[in-house]
Parts: sequence; C-alpha cells; structure tokens
Amino acid sequence: MKIACLEVPGLSLVAALRAEPQLCGEPLAVVQAGRDLGGRARVLGATSAAQGVEVGQLLAEARAICPRLLTREASAERERAAAQAAREAAAAISPRVEEAGPGLVYLDASGLEALIGDDRAVARALVAAAERVGVRAAVGLASSKSVARLAARAAAADLTLEATSSGVGGGAFRVVPPEEQREFLAGLPLYALELPDELQESLRRFGLHSLGEVAALPPGPLAARLGPEAALLSRLARGEDASALTPRPQPDRFEEGEELEWDASSIEPLLFVWKALLDRLAQRLLARGLMARELLLELRLADGSWDERSLDLAAPTREVASLLQLLRLAVESRPPPAGVRAVRLSAVATREVLEQMALFGPRGASPTQLATAVARLSALVGPDRVGRPEAPDRWAPFAAECRKFAPPRAGAGGLPAAGPVPVEVSLAARALRPPRTADVRCDDAGNPLLVIGEGALGGRVVASAGPWRTVAEWWTEEPLALDAYDLELAGGLLIRAARELATGTWRIEAVYD
Amino acid sequence: MSLPARRLPRDLHALEELLRDGHLRRAPAISPRAPRAISTGIPALDAALGGGLARGQLHEIVGPAGAGGTALVRAALASATLLGEICALIDPGDVFDPAPCGMDLEKLLWVRPRDPVQALRAAEIALEARFALVALDLGDVSVLPPPRQPRGVIQVVRFEKKPPSPGASPWARLSRRAEKHGGALLLLARAAQAGTFAAATIELERVRAQWEGQQGGPGRFLRGAHVVSAVTRHKRMPPSAPLPLHLPLEPK
Repeated sequence: MKIACLEVPGLSLVAALRAEPQLCGEPLAVVQAGRDLGGRARVLGATSAAQGVEVGQLLAEARAICPRLLTREASAERERAAAQAAREAAAAISPRVEEAGPGLVYLDASGLEALIGDDRAVARALVAAAERVGVRAAVGLASSKSVARLAARAAAADLTLEATSSGVGGGAFRVVPPEEQREFLAGLPLYALELPDELQESLRRFGLHSLGEVAALPPGPLAARLGPEAALLSRLARGEDASALTPRPQPDRFEEGEELEWDASSIEPLLFVWKALLDRLAQRLLARGLMARELLLELRLADGSWDERSLDLAAPTREVASLLQLLRLAVESRPPPAGVRAVRLSAVATREVLEQMALFGPRGASPTQLATAVARLSALVGPDRVGRPEAPDRWAPFAAECRKFAPPRAGAGGLPAAGPVPVEVSLAARALRPPRTADVRCDDAGNPLLVIGEGALGGRVVASAGPWRTVAEWWTEEPLALDAYDLELAGGLLIRAARELATGTWRIEAVYD
Repeated sequence: MSLPARRLPRDLHALEELLRDGHLRRAPAISPRAPRAISTGIPALDAALGGGLARGQLHEIVGPAGAGGTALVRAALASATLLGEICALIDPGDVFDPAPCGMDLEKLLWVRPRDPVQALRAAEIALEARFALVALDLGDVSVLPPPRQPRGVIQVVRFEKKPPSPGASPWARLSRRAEKHGGALLLLARAAQAGTFAAATIELERVRAQWEGQQGGPGRFLRGAHVVSAVTRHKRMPPSAPLPLHLPLEPK
C-alpha cells in the first residue's frame, strides 16, 4: 500500500499569504495575541524576508530584530479555508482521503500509476494540486502513514515561498520507496519528531540522537526503561506502522472566510472582501471541476450574532462577477442590523455539466454557458426576474410566474424536426402588470362608450364585446369578481378592460397586438 | 483580366506585381454552408426573408400597437422552441402572457429587465451565451436618446446621479454580438430603431379588427384582426409585396 501525506507547514502564514500573495517577498510575520502573554503578541510564522524573526518570539522582540516587519493577525477563518483547500487538493488526486488535522491530510496513493504516473509523478501532482488552490504544501509518499508523515516533514526543509495567481506556492515532496525506508528513517534526528520533552531529554541522556540509533536497540528493554511512548518510537524507527487509513466522505460545501479588522457598516468594503473570497472559491471549484449551485453568506456582526442568508442560484455557476452582484443585491435588499466583523462564504457544489455539442449543426449554448448566462442575468436584473415563464394554476387574468430555468438537455426529446414546424399565429395579449386604472363612461345599458386612460390607452369606443363575468378565488384573500370587455378604440387599438364588481372601478388588463 | 494558370510567373516579386496591378485576384475562400434560418412561423414571410430569420443577424419588427408585432415575435419563438432551440425573451415591459401556449416554455428564458439599458445588456448577455433566438420586446419602451434641446434654451442643472444611458448606438454592438456568436436577434419596436444595423426590417400595419355578432347583442366576440406585413428593407433581398395576415384571437 502507498500512502501520501500532504502537510501545510506554517498554516497560519500560508493562510495569510493565500489571502495576500503579494506579501510573499515582504518581511511579514503572522502573530497571535495570547492571554497568557497579557495581550502581547507572539509570532506564529514569518516569511524568509523577515530575517532573524522566529516562531515563538514576542512581537516586540521581532520588531527590534526586523524594524520593517509587517504583521498580520492570525485568522481562524483563513486557516480553516486553507486547511479545507488542502483537503480538496488531496481529494482531487485520490478519492480515499483522511484529514488527520488542520492542514494534515493522508491519502491512498495506490493504483494511481496508470492515471498519473510513478510515485514521484503522484507526489508532484499533489504539490501542484495544492498550489492550484493557493496552498504551499509538503508532500511525503511512503508505504505507511507515519513514514509518509516523516517524509513530508523531510520535504518541508526544501519549501520555498512563491506568490502564485491563486495564492502561495513553492511546495516540495519526498518519496521514500520501501527499499530505502530503513536508510531514510535511520538518518532522521530525534529532535525533528516533536517528542514529549521528558522523553526527548531521557533519550538524549542515553546518548540517542537519531531514529537509526533507536532502531538498533531492543524494543522490550527500551520500553521497560522509558515507557510505552518509547515502544511506539521504537516501532516507528523500524518502520512498523499498522495504522490504517480511515477515509471520510468529502463535504459538498466549499468555505472561505475572512475576519475584518474593523466593523464594516457599508457595502463597499464588504465587496472587496467578497471579491477575494469568491476568487478563491472559484479557483477551488475549478480545480475540482465543480460549480456552485447555492451560496450561503454568513456575517458575524458587531454584537456577536450571526446574520445568515442563502442564495439559491438560478443556475450553477462559478463566475465571480455574477456571484458578487448577487451577494450585493442580497445584502442591499436586507442590510445587516449592525456592523460586520467577519464574513464566511460557503458554496454548495454540484458537478459541472459537460455535453457533446452537435457536429454538423450550428453551435448552440452549452449547459455551462446557459448556467453562466442565467447567473449573469440574475445578477443584472434580480433573480426573481429571470426564469422560465409559467401560467399559474389559478383564476387570474394574464398572470405569469417565473420558474427556475432548466432546459432539457439536447437530444433528450429525440432528434429535432428536419424543417419548420407548423405554428399557429394568433393575436397575442400584451399584459399590463399591474393593470392600469381608467375612467370608462358607459351608456344606459352599461356598454362602454369612452375610455379615459393613460397615454394611448384611451379614446372613443367604436366596437365592444362583453361582459364576461369572472367570480373566482373567493376562497383566498384576493377574491376576483369582475366583468371583462374587449374594446376597440377609435385609433384601432384593441384592449381588454374589466370592471371590478365590488368597487365599480375599471382597469385595463391587456392590449391585443 | 486574370492570366491562365500555366503562364503564371514563378518569381515571387513578379507575382506580387501582378497582384498589385490587379491582373491577379485572390480566390474567394470557400465558405461553409450557411446554417438553417429560424422560421417566423409564417411561410410567406419566411420566403420574403429569404428563408426566415438568419442566424447571426439583427431583425426588426416595426409597427403600432395592435398591428401584430407581439404575435409575430411569439410565432418565431414558438417555431424555434418547438424545433428544440433554446431561446430568450427580453421583456422590459413585463407583458409576456404564457397562458396561450403553443410554444415549448421549457426552452424559453424569460428576462424582465427594469429599464431599457438593462434590456440591451440582457440581450447582449443572451447573445454571448449562444441562445439561438433572442427576442427583445421594446414595444412599450424606447431606447432612443431624448431629443436634443435647441440652442439658446436655459436649463436648470441639477447635481444628481445621471441615469444610465444606452450609449450612442447599442444596435451596432448588438448586431456585432449576434454575428460573432451566431444567434438571431429579433427586435420589436413601435418605431424603427436599429437603422442599417438591422439585416431586415418587417413593417406591420393595422387593417381592421374582426368582430362576430351584433354590437350590443349577445354572442358578440372579438375574433381577431387583419394586418398587413411587409419586408421593407433587407440586405440581400428586394422589398416584399404587402403580405396580408389574419391573426385569430383565442378566447380568453
């Protein structure tokens, strides 16, 4: 069995640079203020340009060493998104993925030879997949989880830091074939293993400095003297690891988040934040060949509460401009009651629909093009004003509803007709929504004689037909009771007018054209 | 006059000279067969248009209210959707009535922009997405710019946000989009708007309404309308003779 380990060393720094890749070459430190430090900040990670700054230093010390130091506060939202992106990168290579912790993923790399290539090609593909979603990763590939993890740690020494279009790159990999495993483990220093301090000290006093030296000792006496942890270490040193990969199903949500340094109380600053988040979401969806069918926006407000809203997209898309416009419309229509402190965007993903287009006919719209167009149109005019027209199942003259546009796939209904199909050309009604009120004068018999309406919707009645009485919807809160007439006005205009029985008011419902 | 092929010089400079002097002409590229036009649903009108609404072209229907412009747009949409084409109807006036069907509504995207500027942009997006037929219904709105004020008139200037303008010539842009992406754009307007950017202009005129029964008596109905249509301008075809049409009305 082959196991690959994808680890993101310095997750805080990578998450910060993923959001601001232009800072890769700058002296940057990611800091976190701890309560135990009395509000003072401690460095969690720094770029190579911040010379002398090390993890664990206090910010004041770091600034004294590097006066030009830029700082960013560690963001849980950013780190969560970066860890999720790392998991997706692994899932793009193998379907069997186990997330052991934030930024630490194991995957089953068996059987990928035919698809990707040899072990080095698989490891290289993993590094590239991580870079596609903006994450710099160290990858180790070996025959067990623990050795793969150690290989990833060994690869971490070769990591660089490069700004890419989607975030930060410069990943590295290390492949440990089974025949080289003993040699690889023997050379690893013990201080690189993150052992408990007590055990580390005991091993040092015994004069043990590398895994090879530990492997040379009999495991029984070592465990008797140093405890069960030493027994585990001894097994690790000999490459004995029976822990199995426990893959878990992938969540179908892609999340990106950002914490703001101030309370955003207008839409403009939020647009900047959303744009960056959507760019990263789109990149992740593209890397997996997916599209967003639903977008969830969560805003953490200044009072600590969460304002959540869901955008059911008219069609799946990953076009940033359209999604940004839809977010804008959603928030402008119902602004949050307080300033916004943090933003989280989640995309519910669906598979991208690919379709074979016609070989000899004109090139039509592909499902992806249609979906994108519907999303762009929804962003332009509002999602409730784009869709498939449908006559509602109720007694309301000229009523129409807009349903979700989901055209059947090409070829679903069989081959199209070879020539024009016969259609019935008839006088159509142009509905007036809402109906225009008008003043109508009638003769003694109640027949309309004169219509006084807006603009061209008025004039002497030269011919009429009606009334046709409709009494319906009395079982609802909007009962319908009216007498309808077809009228021809002096200019030749044909209209449908109706008189409400309850109030006697006239309204023009449609113009025939 | 071109030279026979056997006497063509082999020297490149001599060939260039012949081309420059016009003795030689470049052979026209063999163009692929034009894709099938979209039927308007009226055979006589299709014939006058040279087969129907050509793909990649802008067509304009011009006529007063009641002359049957909406009926023609619906017929074209019905004809295209029943053939399996995906169509879009840009309807800024929100006037489309889906009740009398006759078309495949599953294949029709209905867009209701809030103003003419949005409508033009929506038509552009639909053309870019390769909808086979994009119908732009400007029967109740106009995108023509307001008439310019005569010189010497003093105007009150308000420092307010200017409303969005459709631009100098949206039709040039739309006809280019149609040509590039291969969709047919059908524009319905009360007055000619697209000018020379339209490949064909269909004009409509009201003739008379058709009533049945005695005025004021029972059993009187509006049965339809008689209109006259004509292709008054076409880039490849001569203007057509007036085509009388009877548009029956389905009882509502």
